[in-house]
Amino acid sequence: MSDRSQLISTGEPFKFDQERDTEFERLIKRYPERESMILPALWLTQEQEGWISAEAIAYIADRIGTFASKVFECATFYTMYHLHPMGKYHICVCRTLSCWLRDKQAIVDYLRDEIGIEPGQKSEDGKFSLEEVECLGHCGTAPVVQINGEFHEEMDVEKLTALLAELN
Amino acid sequence: MAEMIKLFVNGNEVEVEAGKNLIDAIGAVGIEIPHLCYHPALGADGNCRMCLVGLEEGGPPLVPACKTPAAEGMKVLLDADHIKKIQHDVLEFQLINHPVDCPVCDQAGECSLQDYYMTYDGQKSRMTVPQVTKSKKMDFGCGVVHDQERCVLCGRCVRFCRQITRTGELGIVNRTDTARVAIFPGRPLDNRYAVNVVDLCPVGAMTSADFRFKQRVWFMKKERGVCHGCSRGCNITIDHNREKDQDDLIYRFRPLFNEQVNGYFICDEGRLSYRDENENRLTEARLSKTTISLDRAVTASLKEFKRAEGIVILISPDCSLEQMVSIKSLAEELGAPLSGFSDGYIKKGDGDDYLIQDDKAANRAGLTALNIDSSQSAFEEALAKAGLLINFNNDLSLFYDESSLKKLFKEKRVIGVTSRDTKLFQMANLVIPVASFTEYSGSIINCDNILQTFNRAITKNDAPLDMSEVAALLGGPLKTNGDRYDKLKKIVVSLNDFNPDTIPATGLKLT
Repeated sequence: MSDRSQLISTGEPFKFDQERDTEFERLIKRYPERESMILPALWLTQEQEGWISAEAIAYIADRIGTFASKVFECATFYTMYHLHPMGKYHICVCRTLSCWLRDKQAIVDYLRDEIGIEPGQKSEDGKFSLEEVECLGHCGTAPVVQINGEFHEEMDVEKLTALLAELN
Repeated sequence: MAEMIKLFVNGNEVEVEAGKNLIDAIGAVGIEIPHLCYHPALGADGNCRMCLVGLEEGGPPLVPACKTPAAEGMKVLLDADHIKKIQHDVLEFQLINHPVDCPVCDQAGECSLQDYYMTYDGQKSRMTVPQVTKSKKMDFGCGVVHDQERCVLCGRCVRFCRQITRTGELGIVNRTDTARVAIFPGRPLDNRYAVNVVDLCPVGAMTSADFRFKQRVWFMKKERGVCHGCSRGCNITIDHNREKDQDDLIYRFRPLFNEQVNGYFICDEGRLSYRDENENRLTEARLSKTTISLDRAVTASLKEFKRAEGIVILISPDCSLEQMVSIKSLAEELGAPLSGFSDGYIKKGDGDDYLIQDDKAANRAGLTALNIDSSQSAFEEALAKAGLLINFNNDLSLFYDESSLKKLFKEKRVIGVTSRDTKLFQMANLVIPVASFTEYSGSIINCDNILQTFNRAITKNDAPLDMSEVAALLGGPLKTNGDRYDKLKKIVVSLNDFNPDTIPATGLKLT
């Protein structure tokens, strides 16, 4: 674990786009407490921007009507929220038991050689970023790779090569 | 009287108050349960695990004392080996990343972690891995300086800002051993009670920019006092010290618990009002800008009385009841109208719904109780007819600007009896120094009609007289405190049984 509390500021005001705004209003009706909306709102932001800036945290806090410190707490607690810009394709490789046993390391090694980035890094052209994550819940079809939220099951180097070719 | 129940601590029967948690209930009879995160004003959080105690028979064998209500017949274990081991182990965890910089830490001497280490741990560190480093000397705003490395993450400061001030500036960010207390960038502490987090912090993570590095806490003497910053009359601890060859100086005010007045906290403004006790004090009598002795000042005053065509006396609403009654009697003796005009002390809209009051006068209720007129018209009319104004520490400059004051004092003689050497009193022809509120004993009535007494906390090298004594020297008939109490009882019905020795430390609600 590293310090995630050094937020990045874009210098631009943040706002939900029309789609996320509608989604926010739809979701907030579900919760008796507005504060429960912190995590979904962070997701919406990440969906929209790919990462979460200091401005976005302030916006969420004001929009929900809670303390910025609370949103700050949540955003820094959960590593699934990206607090700095990710690559255009953000690749998550599951590293929990089933995937590990089914050789997720081969996938990580391949990506390292092919794109030239370690887990936690972003390629120089900004196209790819790689992350090892905990269980994605697809243990039956391990190993699993998630690219921008989309699952690719029973991965191996061959399939991954084809996939990367498609993305390139 | 609260209902009492009996329970056992380490096999010994103790009688404690019902309805409290184990820390408070057992703590009240002098048995300490170590705790870091629990604070009676903030409730139980249960995160520090320092207060785990054993229960024999019934219930789980191990419970956090902060979340466990005391119950009849409960058998609490504190000195069993497994409890001692827990306390020892929890402290070892707390100290893994703690810098142990007690020699340069302001909290040393009043630090829970330090005390608990000496009591419950006492072993050398077994860690061989490098410590996690975090930020130090962070400016959190409002004069609060934070050291993330010393923090034990009890969350008291976070809970204070969320529950008490409801401003929520602080949060605990990250997790595991990188977790730390932080402000959201650009939203620092911004409330009028912020420095209370320094008192709440059980360790040296929160320090006061005003106090840090000024004094080691074990050198300071602690006295009880009542803040005179507004009409709330919060109870305070006055921490003071007389360094070698120096005067007795106050280094800080801290809140003192009083349930019916201020609870556990005070406002920042009141906390910093100690500066006025140290700085800019009038120490010597002056006649037309020449320093003179007190005796000569008194003689000169008496001459002024004789010469004057009409005298008017102005009294400060900060005066104690004893002083007010002394000055009232002096006014009667001199046949002079007495005014408590002090509209300038009221800052409309400045108060809040917590502690801070609009009225910055400490004892306005006293003026009312003694039937001292406070209207502007009566004061100005009386002054217009008089040739001499005796001002007992009333800060008229809060109401009048400089030019209005000049107009007001035109062709008048002014005697100032004051503790502060301010511009207003530099305009007086004669000034006599008196003690400020930390330097005399007295009683005041707060905004909720609660009578509180306080004792002299500070004795200056050249201790100025109490205002009552000055009133007596100027010809006031009440020479002793006994006389003053008798007169008070006569004038004020609600003070019929007034006896300063029997007023409880927490104050007496007058009816």
